[in-house]
Formats: sequence, structure tokens, C-alpha cells
Amino acid sequence: MHLKNLKISNFRNFESIDIPLKGNIVLLGENRVGKSNLIFAMRLVIDQTLSDSARQLKISDFWDGCDLFTKPKIEVHLDFTDFEADPYLTALLTDYRLADDPHTVRLSYMFRCKPEIIGLPTSSEDFEFNIYGGGVETISVNNQVRRRICLDLLDALRDAENQLGSWKNSPLRPLIENAMAAVDSTILTTISADLEAANTKIVEQPQIKSLDDSLSKQILNLSGKAHDLKPSLRFSNADPLRLFRSLGMYIDGGKRSISEASLGSANVVLMALKLEEFTWRREKNERNYSLLCIEEPEAHLHPQLQRSIFKNIFKEKDSAQALIITSHSPTLAAAVPLNSIVNLRLKNDSTKAFSLANLPISDDEKDDIERYLIATRSEILFAKGVIFVEGDAEEILVPCFAEQIGHDLDGLGITVCNVGGTNFNPYIKLAEGLGLPFVVITDWDPLDGTKPALGRARCVGIWDSRVEVNSTISLMTEKGRNFCETATFDKFSQAWAKRGIFLNDETFEVAIAKTPNLSELLLDILHEQNFGPKRTKRIEEWRENITQIDSTQLLAMIKDIGKGRLSGKLKKKITNSESIHPPMYIHNAIEYMVENV
Amino acid sequence: MSNYLNLKQALLELKKNEEQFEAVNCKKHCVVLAGPGSGKTKTLTTAIARTLHEEVINPRAIACITYNNECAIELETRLSKFGIESNGQNFIGTVHSFALTQIIIPYARCIEGLVPKNFKVANLLECKIAIESAYRTVYNDSEDPKTQWDFANEKRNKEVDRTLPTWKGHNRELAEFVEEYELELRKKGLIDFDDMPLIAFKMIKENSWIRQALEARFPILFVDEYQDLGHVLHELVHLLCFEGKIRLFAVGDADQSIYGFTGANPELLQSLTERQDVQTIQLRFNYRSGTKIVKASSAVLNEERNYESPEGSPEGDIIFNPVIGALEEQAYYIVNNILTELAFRGVKSEQIAILYKAAWLGDKIVEALEKKKIAYHRTDRNSLIKRSSRFARFIEECAKWITGGWKYAEPSFNRLFKQALNIVYGNHCTQSEKQTLEQQLIDFLQRSRVVHETANEWLIRFEKELIVHWSSICRNNIQEWDMCLELIQKTSPEMNKDMSLELFSGKTEGTGRLTLTTFHSSKGREFDAVIIFGANKGILPDKRDIKTFKSLKEVRRLFYVAVTRPKTILHLVYQSKNHSEFLNEFYRRTQQS
Repeated sequence: MHLKNLKISNFRNFESIDIPLKGNIVLLGENRVGKSNLIFAMRLVIDQTLSDSARQLKISDFWDGCDLFTKPKIEVHLDFTDFEADPYLTALLTDYRLADDPHTVRLSYMFRCKPEIIGLPTSSEDFEFNIYGGGVETISVNNQVRRRICLDLLDALRDAENQLGSWKNSPLRPLIENAMAAVDSTILTTISADLEAANTKIVEQPQIKSLDDSLSKQILNLSGKAHDLKPSLRFSNADPLRLFRSLGMYIDGGKRSISEASLGSANVVLMALKLEEFTWRREKNERNYSLLCIEEPEAHLHPQLQRSIFKNIFKEKDSAQALIITSHSPTLAAAVPLNSIVNLRLKNDSTKAFSLANLPISDDEKDDIERYLIATRSEILFAKGVIFVEGDAEEILVPCFAEQIGHDLDGLGITVCNVGGTNFNPYIKLAEGLGLPFVVITDWDPLDGTKPALGRARCVGIWDSRVEVNSTISLMTEKGRNFCETATFDKFSQAWAKRGIFLNDETFEVAIAKTPNLSELLLDILHEQNFGPKRTKRIEEWRENITQIDSTQLLAMIKDIGKGRLSGKLKKKITNSESIHPPMYIHNAIEYMVENV
Repeated sequence: MSNYLNLKQALLELKKNEEQFEAVNCKKHCVVLAGPGSGKTKTLTTAIARTLHEEVINPRAIACITYNNECAIELETRLSKFGIESNGQNFIGTVHSFALTQIIIPYARCIEGLVPKNFKVANLLECKIAIESAYRTVYNDSEDPKTQWDFANEKRNKEVDRTLPTWKGHNRELAEFVEEYELELRKKGLIDFDDMPLIAFKMIKENSWIRQALEARFPILFVDEYQDLGHVLHELVHLLCFEGKIRLFAVGDADQSIYGFTGANPELLQSLTERQDVQTIQLRFNYRSGTKIVKASSAVLNEERNYESPEGSPEGDIIFNPVIGALEEQAYYIVNNILTELAFRGVKSEQIAILYKAAWLGDKIVEALEKKKIAYHRTDRNSLIKRSSRFARFIEECAKWITGGWKYAEPSFNRLFKQALNIVYGNHCTQSEKQTLEQQLIDFLQRSRVVHETANEWLIRFEKELIVHWSSICRNNIQEWDMCLELIQKTSPEMNKDMSLELFSGKTEGTGRLTLTTFHSSKGREFDAVIIFGANKGILPDKRDIKTFKSLKEVRRLFYVAVTRPKTILHLVYQSKNHSEFLNEFYRRTQQS
């Protein structure tokens, strides 16, 4: 079984979200965007430890934009699918199938104004909650379901050391109790006798004995005979039935107790024990499905350790459990499967959620993106806007151009993404899927003019990719497609600039060479290369009149320097000079981006 | 949780009877042929308890289909001794309720256009109107629709799978009549009782996921009284157990098949036993009746059965009572002579039953009993509380609570509340609806405790304060609200039938009352002494019975059911020189031994 869909409306940050899911979920988003609220919404439906009084929400739990006069409802709908292979889950959930899709079950929470309240509701007493299944309010959810389909939360403020240290709360307790119950009682008695012998031996030591006696006397003096506590010093309780309480987990080869572990290690142990507990509870037939929510599991963990833990956790394909993780860690985000990512973003006073569960990309494209995410530490997943560029040169120079026109891209959360070529489509799908605003800076690539410029088809392709992911974008009409095949460069580039794609009329380097000021800097660099007389002469001619610049010759020279090296040099020169204006199409792209984040 | 000790004890006891033990431990499809008094219910309940303990793991469960609600309640009570409570997971009930609550209600909403949204179950009047209207459309003549409908309905319940060419190919007009009738009902948002298993069959047949869901929820299906359950159930069993993965455990006795008029057919059980993949186990012992009765009873069937009695069983008595005079005289003879004699022999009233072929015969006995002021408890169709109606039994339980039951929580308020929820909402309701209903019920019951009313007065208030409101908000598909009005009528003071609420609430099985019931309703029950009333020529069999060979066979089986009820004493009362032909062979057989 796995989670298929989540819908939340009118709850805290969420006006309305409706996201597809696939198994595990990794929730990304900045602080205060509502990651914990999303988990709480799910708990309202299935967490059996949540009391009824916690489920009775407050008026303040309504999304701020709600008008209470219109009697809004808070709703959370959790859909599961793929349960039919397991007869136990089927037996448990079969009553809650959706009318229009019997292979999906829905469990729902609703908080709404009581029907007898007329006028404006004034307190939370005017509201009632209901938990139901199948999308039908009168199908109440059996208690068994909430006991057998569980959600456990390790919250951000979890105190791993304390949880492991105290017997009562330790996730180790049920595991040990269960294991000990299976130990033969005669063996327990023997162990108990050994332990008692050790106890006696230590207490017999004169130094210990005198301490024991004086302590006992002191306590007796305080409490009086009637309330004698009968204290004694010993290693451990030797009662065979209580023996298991003395059993604990030790680290570093038994030298230290787990409560002395580092914060990071304690967190790892806690997570491992929780997962073990789930397996055990399933074996005991107490549960059939577990959702483990961990807030910021990266806390206190070294990046390498994060990577190895989450790779392992997500590798496990257990159809009876799922993980829900909130995180700020780029390391973690890069290690998890792409389709588990859910991105939360604040837009116009409400949080929107974007899920990559059903991102329409091929396996090859997915590999590309996952590789890219690892290489860039998944910067794009945490960005507020993206500028897509073709290569190293743009990647190096665009931030520097932005600075020239007064924008700090890093400060604005805008990242420049170098797709290393012209296949923008998988990245476009990713950005669209994440709900990220973006622009594309690309070349017209007219080639030798015998065939249509490559930029034409590229722009159409980018648009089609967006449509594939985002159903609110309309498909390009026949007329539009005709336009794209026939329009002049000017008309074409103007039209696309309105839609976030910015083109030069040849290539990036040529555009730089043809931009005043920049052109000089470029020619300086070329000059410094000490080319032969023919090229030196040509560079001088170009200096006289930049309209004379011949693209083919120019690119040949640049090729000899190397695009990357050239941009590095250029960047240095730009930073050192005053008010250099970038090529117009790049200027427009940056302004467009800045306006849209 | 099941009570393992009781189960172990029961299993140990069954070891003494090889066949029962084998049946209870059978792990494939199993059919148990169980004659009268053979320990059928014990075998069934122990088998259920064993599978629940050993094989069926929570949250999966078992389904047990019984002939009527009464059997279901009996089974529930027996199972509770093994610690198996009806927790909403196990299903025990009729085939109609199985179809409705386990298939139609949960899944029909996933299949568009199958049944009307928020459908109700049609009452008799609504069915009649639909029949008449459909008849006009299909036949448009002045004949009696009802007569034609009997044929049509027989076809409807027999030819379950309508995708077969025979449905329309054979008696096309009847098929159209049926379809038109169903259409009429649907137009008014209705389905009828017979629709339930038919719709369920269609749903399972056409949607493999529904069958899988049932397989997941109920890995084992138990069927009690298989011989009485008719074609639709037989086809359902086929679909679920032989085409699907559910394991079948059926018990039945072809000799006790007495519901031919509802489509039951003893051959269906027979056909199960002939399957290769079914293990058939015949129980041999009759633990109930004296050896004489066991030996003579198969004479009634005109066949040999060779049931054995366990060692040390008493002989038992069969007494023939020819009475000079009509039925009235026979009734008085029973009341004045036989009952006195039985009392003299020390048989307790609650261990005596008077059985008769039809309810109208019961009226004659009632007359004689009331003249002598003898307390009785009538369980046939003319009884005050309809035992098969959950609503009628709810009213009765409420009366019990008010008249003292509240002190000992017998019945508990919680039980009444749950019944009310089921009756009003079919168990599907929101928290606040639940709370409101609870409030209404406890208010009414508490007030009833302090106002002193007769049964009739109380029922009128019950109708006014609860039913009027409940029937308007009701979401249950089966509604029996008329039952309350019927009870008001039946306790009418004008007809001098009103009684105290105490008496009304005690009208069920109590101490010191003898039992009056028809042959049909006596099935599955046992008494120390049984008096068979009206074994006259012309009644047993009557004109209708001798029409066909099949119906004659059935009435023989019906009489067989009656004579196999007593443990020790069987009295046969009939008109002298005008006795039933069934008595001849029976008499001869008693003289042999």
C-alpha cells in the first residue's frame, strides 16, 4: 500500500492543496511555510495518539483568508492505493473505497460549523469534527483502522537522549519485553541468582557496607519506622520478572550507556529503534501499516552520515510502511528519490504544495536531474527562482551581470542553473513541478541559415514541457506553432520574452562582443592572447567598428582560449570596471526573474 | 478475544464423535450433512471458534449465513460462550443482510447506475404497485397480475445469472415482466428483498475487485441450513468459493428442506456433496430423541436413514391420540387431557411444544388455552412480537429495560442504543447524530420508568415520541416502522387485548409457558415433549400439497421435521377414523420395534 494523494483545505497555512504522492514523502520548504502543519493535518486523520480534544480545533486554525460567515470547513483527505495485494489491509479498508475509483481508499477529517449554528460562529464550541471514509461523511472510520494504520511522529524538538534514557518512553522497552518474554524461566532464575550473588559480593565489601548502613540509618531517621523505605545499594534488581528492566543498550563496545551518546548518534539510534518497532508490531499483528514522520532528521548529523542513512532508509522497499520527512538539508534532498519530493511555497498568503510524484519525465531524464541535484547540492530545490542557461559561460557571467544592474541573485534566492547544453526540458519540468518561477536564457542558433534556427523548436519544446507538467498552462495553438516557424527573429524573441524565454540573435559570446563596453573588454582579452598577426590585425579592425565582428572568426578565437577561461577573465574585468551594461536580452531576463520571485 | 479454554473443552468433547471432530478440523471445502439432533449447531459453532482461533487472523474475519435472523441470534449467543463477540468484523446473518450490508451498501456506490442513490427497501404495498404497473406494460390484459408474478418471481430467483441465453431465450415474457418490475421499483428509488442477493451476485460477477475484497475480509464462509437457502445463495457460493478463493463450510440436511415456496431445493445441497473438491461428512448420531422416535421418524420420509442413538439413550414414547370430533375437540383434548397427563408425569411447561401445520390451526389451540388460562408463548406468524423483526425485538427489549431490566443492565442501555443506531442509521452516522439519538432514547426510557402505562399506552407514546421523528431521519435501507403501529393494533384496548407492560415485555420465552408454533417455525428447536395437533386427512397433506410429486415430498419432509423435535415424548393428535396417511407407515414402524 502507499499514499496516493493528499488534499488539505482551509487549514492554517493552506487555503487549498491537492498533491499526488508516491510512497515516501520528503517535505521541503523554508521556515514557517507549514511543513509541520502539513504533518499535523495528516495526524488529524490517522494518529491514534491524538486525543479528541486535540482534534477539536480552534477558530484560529482556519486559514487566515477564510470568511467565517460562509461557514468554511477544514478538510483533510488522505488517499491510499495498492492495498489489494494484502488481504489484511483490504479487509481493514475495503469499506472506504472512492466511488469513482474503487482501487483507492480515502480517509478524511472534517472540521465544520455545527448545523444548528445560525449566523457567525464565535467559538470552537460552535464547530464539530468528523472522521470518515470513502469520501462519504456517514461512513465512520472503524477504531481498528486508526489502531492498525499508524502514524508516529519524531518531532523537531525530540529529545533523543531522554527518550532513550528513560525506561518508560524508550522505544527499546517493547522490544526487550517481547524478547525477554520468550526466554526460558529457569534460565532467568539462574541469571537472577548470579546477579544476586554479585550484589551480595559488592555489598559485603566493608567500605560499601558502611556506606549502605549509614545511608539506611539516615533515611530511617528522616522517615520514621512506619515509613521505612528499606533502601540498599546494589547493581541491579535481581527479581527474575524484573530482570529485563536492567537490560539496556550500550555503545562504544559497552563502555558508555546510550544516554551518554552524542546527540547525533542518539538520533540515529532512535530512528533505527522506531523502524524496528514497526516491524515488530506488524509481526505481532498489532499493526498493518506504519507511517513514520521525522521532522528534520538531519539534525545533529554530519553530511556524509546523512547521505548514507537516507540512502539506506529510502532503499528499503517495504510496502507496509512509509516515511514522511521534513528537511532543510540539501544533502538529504539530493539523496532521496526525486518523486518523493514535495515542495511547499508561500504564494499570495497561502502555502501551495508541489509534488514531484507524477513528474512526467523519462528514466534517462530522471537520472540526469538526480545527478545534477547531487552535483549542485540540490540548490534548485531550495531556490525561489531559477535562471536556466546553456553553459559555463552564462553560469559564470549572469550573476555578475545581475550585480551590475543592482540585483543580488543569491540574496533573492535565485539560482542560475547550467543545463550543460540545450536540452532544457527535464529541468523545465522539474522547475514547473516544484512551482518555481524561472526564465530561460538561450541562443537563437541560426547555423548557416539553410535550416530553421534551432532556437525556434527549442522554445516550442520548452513550452510543451511546461504544459505537460502544469495543467493550468494552455497548450500552444496551431496558429502559435505556425508563428514560431515563420516569425522573424525580432518578432519571435519579443513574443517569447513575454513568456520567460530570452534569446540572442546568434550565440552568447557573439552577443557580448556586439554589446558596447563589453565588446571592448572582450577584445582586450583576445588581444592579451598574443595571437598571430592576422588575428591581431582582425581584432584591431573590430575595435574600430564592432559591427564588423565576424562571428565565425570570433568563435574560432574563443575556442582557442576556452569558453570557461574566457568567462572567468571577463568576469574579473567586469567586476573591476564601472557600470558595464549586459547584453539587452540578459538584462531583460534578469529583470523578469527578479520581478517574478 | 476468543476464549481458548472453552474452545479446548469443546474440541475435547467432540473427540468422542469421530465425524464431528473431523468436520470441525477440516481445512478444505466441507459439507456436513446433519440429521435431526445430530449436534449440527454445536459442530458449526465449534468450527467457527476453531478457525477464528487458529486460522483467521485479525482484521480478517468470518461470515456465517443463516436462514433467518432468529438463527443468527441463536448462533451469536452460542459463539459468545467462546468469547467471540459480534464486533462488526465477523458477519452473522441472513443471505439478504449479507448481500445488503457486505456488498451492496459498501460497494454499490462505486458502480454507477446500479442502484438508486439512497435506495430504500420496498414494503409489500410498494411491491404490489410495481407488479401491477409492470404487468400492464408487459401484458396489458385483465388477468390477475399476482398469479403471473408468482411464475415470474420463481424464474427470477432460479435463473440467477441473467447473462445466460436462457434468461431471455426461455419464457421471454416472464423475463421482461421481471425486468419491468425491477425498473418500476428503481424509478421510485426502491429495491425489494429478492433484489438484494441478485444485485450482489451481479456485482461480484462483473467486478472481480469486489470478489477479492470479500475474499480478503472473509477467507472462510459458513452456511447454516444450506438446504433452505435457494438458488441465489447457491450461485453466490459458487462464485465466491469455487470460482473464488473463499473456503466453504456448509451444514444442512436435505431431509429438512421445507422452504420450497421460497425457492429452496434439496438438490442444491446434494450437488455440493458430489463435487471433487468438497469433503462431505455425514453425522451419524441423533443425540436428541429417544430410540423409538429416531427409528420411527424416517418412516415419515418413506425412506431409510439409519441414524444411530448413543448408548444409554432412553427409549422414548410415541402416543397416538385419536379424538372423536373436529379440530376444536382435538384442541380441547390436548388442553384437558394431554397437558394434564404431561404435568402429572412431571414435564415442565416450558419443555412442552404444541406443533401444527399452519398458523390458523394455532388460533384454535389459543382459544382452548385461554379458556383454561394456561400461559403460552406463540412463535409462529400470528405471534405478538415477530421474532424475525429486529425492530419488533428492539421494542420488546426497551419494554424489558423499563420494567426492571435497567437495574441489572439486562438488557444494557448500550445494547439498546446500538440497536437503535442500527435501526435508524444502519450504523452509518456522524458523532453528533449519535449523541442526539442517545439523548432521545435515554430520555424516553427514563420517562417511561416513572409513568405507569399499559402496553398500548406506552406503544402509542413510543410511536409519537420516537418513531415519528426517527422515521423522518432514517437512513437505514430496511425500514419496519409499521411494526409499531401493528403492535398498537394488536394490543388495542377496544378489542380487550391491552396488557400490562410487564406482561408485554415478558411475552418472549419465559418460565412456565408452553410453546405454540408451526412445523416450519419449529425447525432447529427441541422440547422434552411435543404434541402434534391436527394430523388429519386433508390437512396433512392438503389439496395443494398433493398437486405435484415434489410438493408431496416436501410436506413429508415438513412432517419429518415436526416428529423429530421431541426428546422423549411424542403425542400425535388427530381425528379418529380421519387420520393423515403419513401416520400409517409411522404407526407400523413403531409396532415393529
